[in-house]
Amino acid sequence: MNVIFPALAQLLLFLIISPLVTGVIRTMKARFQTRRGPRVWQPYLDLHKLLRKGMIIPDTASWLFSVTPYVVFLTAAMVSLMIPMVATEAPLSLFGGVLAVVYLLALGRFFLALGGLDTGSSFGGLGSSREMTISAIAEPAMMVAIFTVAIAANSTNLSEVAKSAVGQSWRFLAPSQMLAFGALFIVLIAETGRIPVDNPATHLELTMIHEAMILEYSGPYLALIEWGASLKQLVLITLLVNTFFPFGLSSDWHSPGIAIGLGFYLIKVLIICCLIVLVETTNAKMRLFRVPELLAVAFILGALALISTFLF
Amino acid sequence: MYFFEDPQFGNRMITLMAAFVLVLQIAMVGQRWLVTNIRVFAAQSFLLAGIANTIAFFNHAPHLYVAAFLTCVLKGIVLPVLLERLVKRIDIGQEIAPIVNVPLSLLISGGLTTVGYVVAESFHHPEGAASPASLGRNTLAVAVSLFLIGFFMMISRRKAIMQVLALLSLENGLFLAAISLTYGMPLIVELGIFFDLLVAVMVLGILVYRIQETFDSMDVTKLSKLRG
Repeated sequence: MNVIFPALAQLLLFLIISPLVTGVIRTMKARFQTRRGPRVWQPYLDLHKLLRKGMIIPDTASWLFSVTPYVVFLTAAMVSLMIPMVATEAPLSLFGGVLAVVYLLALGRFFLALGGLDTGSSFGGLGSSREMTISAIAEPAMMVAIFTVAIAANSTNLSEVAKSAVGQSWRFLAPSQMLAFGALFIVLIAETGRIPVDNPATHLELTMIHEAMILEYSGPYLALIEWGASLKQLVLITLLVNTFFPFGLSSDWHSPGIAIGLGFYLIKVLIICCLIVLVETTNAKMRLFRVPELLAVAFILGALALISTFLF
Repeated sequence: MYFFEDPQFGNRMITLMAAFVLVLQIAMVGQRWLVTNIRVFAAQSFLLAGIANTIAFFNHAPHLYVAAFLTCVLKGIVLPVLLERLVKRIDIGQEIAPIVNVPLSLLISGGLTTVGYVVAESFHHPEGAASPASLGRNTLAVAVSLFLIGFFMMISRRKAIMQVLALLSLENGLFLAAISLTYGMPLIVELGIFFDLLVAVMVLGILVYRIQETFDSMDVTKLSKLRG
């Protein structure tokens, strides 16, 4: 009971909230651009529709094609259990804590790229190659930023990180924290395929990255991949808010602090969504060959953060 | 006592602003558009004025307010406006070919920052917590990195106007080192430096314009060719 309940509750919350976050970002973005935009719960309707539909599987596809959606969804769901959400104690903690989080996400991405390549369509290959190029540069930046936080907490275990961050006031004003936050935010934008890096709303072949990989998927498989993508997005946002601004996290899953924790959590996620929308509406998409420059900035920010934890 | 009178808070704010100054310096290295670069420099100067104000407030050094005000007006407003007018007159928006490409220069500036921290570390005396150097330690590292990166920018850019900007940001580093180590030089010295800087930028502006007129380009590598 003590282990099962938090795990189930957190998984459910993640599964339910993640499409909502995607919807909120879409709607807010539309409003920022003075369009009406879809309703906030549109992603739920999309998922429901996709899950009921039939599937078309290309003749050239091998077993990898059908394994990929499950791997993408399950790695995202598993990672969502490993980060503190409304309580400082995460329900699941694997070896290496945050390292496991990063590399489980990388496993999902690896399979997604394989799935894109598997059918032999040129778009899938193009998308996979782009995704791998970007993630190869985004990963070191993410690791450096995360190491900064881990060093400050003396542990790579995310629950420990959140716990050590709760008590200290003014901690988030430390330059290392700010710089690491900046680095992780850029990585978040790159990893979730948001505008300066990739455009989630277009199927224009010249520019798409994520959409190109999943072009061959349809029906329930597509639903799994889409849901997995929004889960991953929420996981990264949660990682960002709860390691840097752990206000209002309750200490465990049984105290009445849970409701307050959930409220604070939703507000923090909403603020990050606003930031993402702001970045998306005020920036134009970068040329693909400029993206490494952006990620180099993220890496330098992370490296500076790491240097300044040792010296400040 | 209000929370903003807490020296701990003041220390945090100074360190934070110093970190942002460093970030802006690196942003300058990564930025290709001249006008944006000038605005980044202006923002950096405003932050510097903020640091000077905070140090003045917490250490009761009223003459620093004057230095902060001068930084704000001169480096934050007057010099950027002058430079922007120059850019408009020359009509060149972008640095076309820096000698070292952008991602590599970013990495090099990261490395230079590390050097800056190592250098500043040797100035640190852990026993003298009350001495000025204890406050200077964080900001001194940023200051040393600022002028190392400023030097690097001067070497690695072809356009004369970027070199002027690099010189100015280098001077920002000097100012930061001065206020963080000694709570500011005597006011008369500060005034002298500011006046020097103003004249230097005006002269450099004319020089840049002449280079542009004579060679149809701001590329300083062309200056090595002899012309009768």
